[in-house]
Amino acid sequence: MIILKMALRELTTHKKRSIITFLLSAFSTALLIFVAAISEGTHTQLIQSSVETYPGYIQVRDAKFEDDPSFENLIFNESEVKDKVTKTTGIKAVSSRFETFALYSSDKLTVGGMFCAIEPESEAKVSRLKNALVEGEYLSSSDTNALYIGNELAKRLDLKIGDSVSFISTAADYSFAADNLIVKGIFRTKLYEFDNSSAFVNKAYFDVLMHSSDIATHIIATPEDISKIDTVSETLKQNLSNTLEVRNYKQILEDFIVAMEIDGIFSYITLGIFFIVIFFVIAIFAFLSVYGRVRQIGVLRAIGTTPSQVMGMLLFEALLLGLLSVSVGGVASGYATHYYEKNPIELTSIGDMEMEDYYKQYNMVAETTLPTQFDLASIFTQMFIMLLLNLLTVLYPIAMINRFTPIEAIRYV
Amino acid sequence: MKTVSLLLLFCLSLWAISAQEIVEKVEHNLQSENGYSKITMSVTTSRGERTMKMESWNRGNEKSFIRILYPKSDMGITFLKIDTTMWQYVPKIEKTIKIPASMMMQNWMGSDFTNDDMAKESSIVDDYIPTLSSEDSTKYTLTLIPKQDAPVVWGKIVMEVQKENYVPLRAIYYDEDAKEQRTLYYSEIKVIGSRYLPTVMTLIPSQKEKNKTVVTMDEVDFESRIDDAMFTKNALIRFSR
Repeated sequence: MIILKMALRELTTHKKRSIITFLLSAFSTALLIFVAAISEGTHTQLIQSSVETYPGYIQVRDAKFEDDPSFENLIFNESEVKDKVTKTTGIKAVSSRFETFALYSSDKLTVGGMFCAIEPESEAKVSRLKNALVEGEYLSSSDTNALYIGNELAKRLDLKIGDSVSFISTAADYSFAADNLIVKGIFRTKLYEFDNSSAFVNKAYFDVLMHSSDIATHIIATPEDISKIDTVSETLKQNLSNTLEVRNYKQILEDFIVAMEIDGIFSYITLGIFFIVIFFVIAIFAFLSVYGRVRQIGVLRAIGTTPSQVMGMLLFEALLLGLLSVSVGGVASGYATHYYEKNPIELTSIGDMEMEDYYKQYNMVAETTLPTQFDLASIFTQMFIMLLLNLLTVLYPIAMINRFTPIEAIRYV
Repeated sequence: MKTVSLLLLFCLSLWAISAQEIVEKVEHNLQSENGYSKITMSVTTSRGERTMKMESWNRGNEKSFIRILYPKSDMGITFLKIDTTMWQYVPKIEKTIKIPASMMMQNWMGSDFTNDDMAKESSIVDDYIPTLSSEDSTKYTLTLIPKQDAPVVWGKIVMEVQKENYVPLRAIYYDEDAKEQRTLYYSEIKVIGSRYLPTVMTLIPSQKEKNKTVVTMDEVDFESRIDDAMFTKNALIRFSR
């Protein structure tokens, strides 16, 4: 108890020294938590956007489709497979798609692009296609020749809402398919290549025209709990025929996710270097503060204070200051993290380059915000690390100061 | 030594000329200045078989016109190719669509043939450098490598040609990575005027063993004159009916 009292007295007596140590530590804690939260938040946002924009969390398709995406490798019992997927424990939403290629021809131009049939209502639960609407209306299950087209593709074909555009394609039975479509809605997902090459129609209409009844290229599923996606995917694999392939977003976007992880590692390395510098600043400051008290500690030792009591007193000082600064830094950055998670920082350009152009060159969803990720466990972990660093900084000066005999310490200049 | 080298070079040049002559004779058999044919195309996939019938007119390699006669749902679809440009008229949507050059290697009407095959855009004489790889008593084996700026997508074609009449027996197509892509077999040779024409061609894609497309020429006429009006965009609609 006496040690605690001595430590408290010491802190209050040397206010200037205490405030500087407190500020250094609190600022470092706040910065560590906030930068880590931005890094995590941005990565999570990019992965979520890439998954939810169109690919979906879980894809079911024919096992040979990846190597040979032809009409021989489709899901030919779509309703049966879809039913099994729907009944799988842990699945929240399911929707079927038929993706193929078509030539779109307006009055001005003919261009090739992805022609995809979706089930409008259920598609809205597995992707952000509906939310990407910028003009007109989203598709409905009663639509016939209504087209939901990417804004960049619409721009290339010079199409507006209500305009007519023809398509020619090959039907699922390899016969010739063509029709005139009316633009019902225009979407913008911020994924430039996707917006520049994709258009969607209602699957019920598509199935009649393309002879694709009960056929799909993909069945997309969303799990109830994303964190359990590996378990859900494994259960699905066991429930379905081995001629089908089940892939979750970690496999679908494997390269992208690895790139994000590598980027995350580099962020932490950068932060690590930054904190080594901060650690040494605090350590030097702690060393100078402790060494500035050699004579005082010599007097304490001379009146009977043991080296372990000296160590306890100095550790208590560091602990008290550390707890206070880490708590203040943690609370401040926790609040900021929470605030910027709800109100992400807007970043529309880097230098002269627009963010959209920056993302376009990497074919990534052009997100112009930097959200933080509010994660209490992560915040407490980082606070604990900072507290530990604070204690570590005083260990060396304590060890050094305890080497002095009381007489040496009192005579120390 | 110098004389032997010169003799060797002379022999090699004779071989090169031979290979060129062979492909010219092959092209003479397969291509005509004016040609009309009625064709049946059967497409077999692992999911079944489909048959199409069509008429085709061509003027050399530069111009060709195709009209679909069967099945009924596709009847009246017409194709026109002039040089490197291809158009398609689709009666159902009453529209003439220009097929982008980038689409020339897309499958034609769900068959294993490409738009380029149907339009006969490339020529084995003009676009490839032939070399005689080997020969036996009945056939030559030629290797055709595309010329530097030739508008072709194949990296190599290996063609076997009958010595007797310069009719190809089969042609194996490789992509730019030297991976075998498809084999085209020629059979049912008929003499049409001064030409030996294989009237059945069977195309088998290398990666899909269950698939094949068989083209049978039911009628061929190399003699009649074809009206220039056939090779205009107006003809796409006019001859569609």
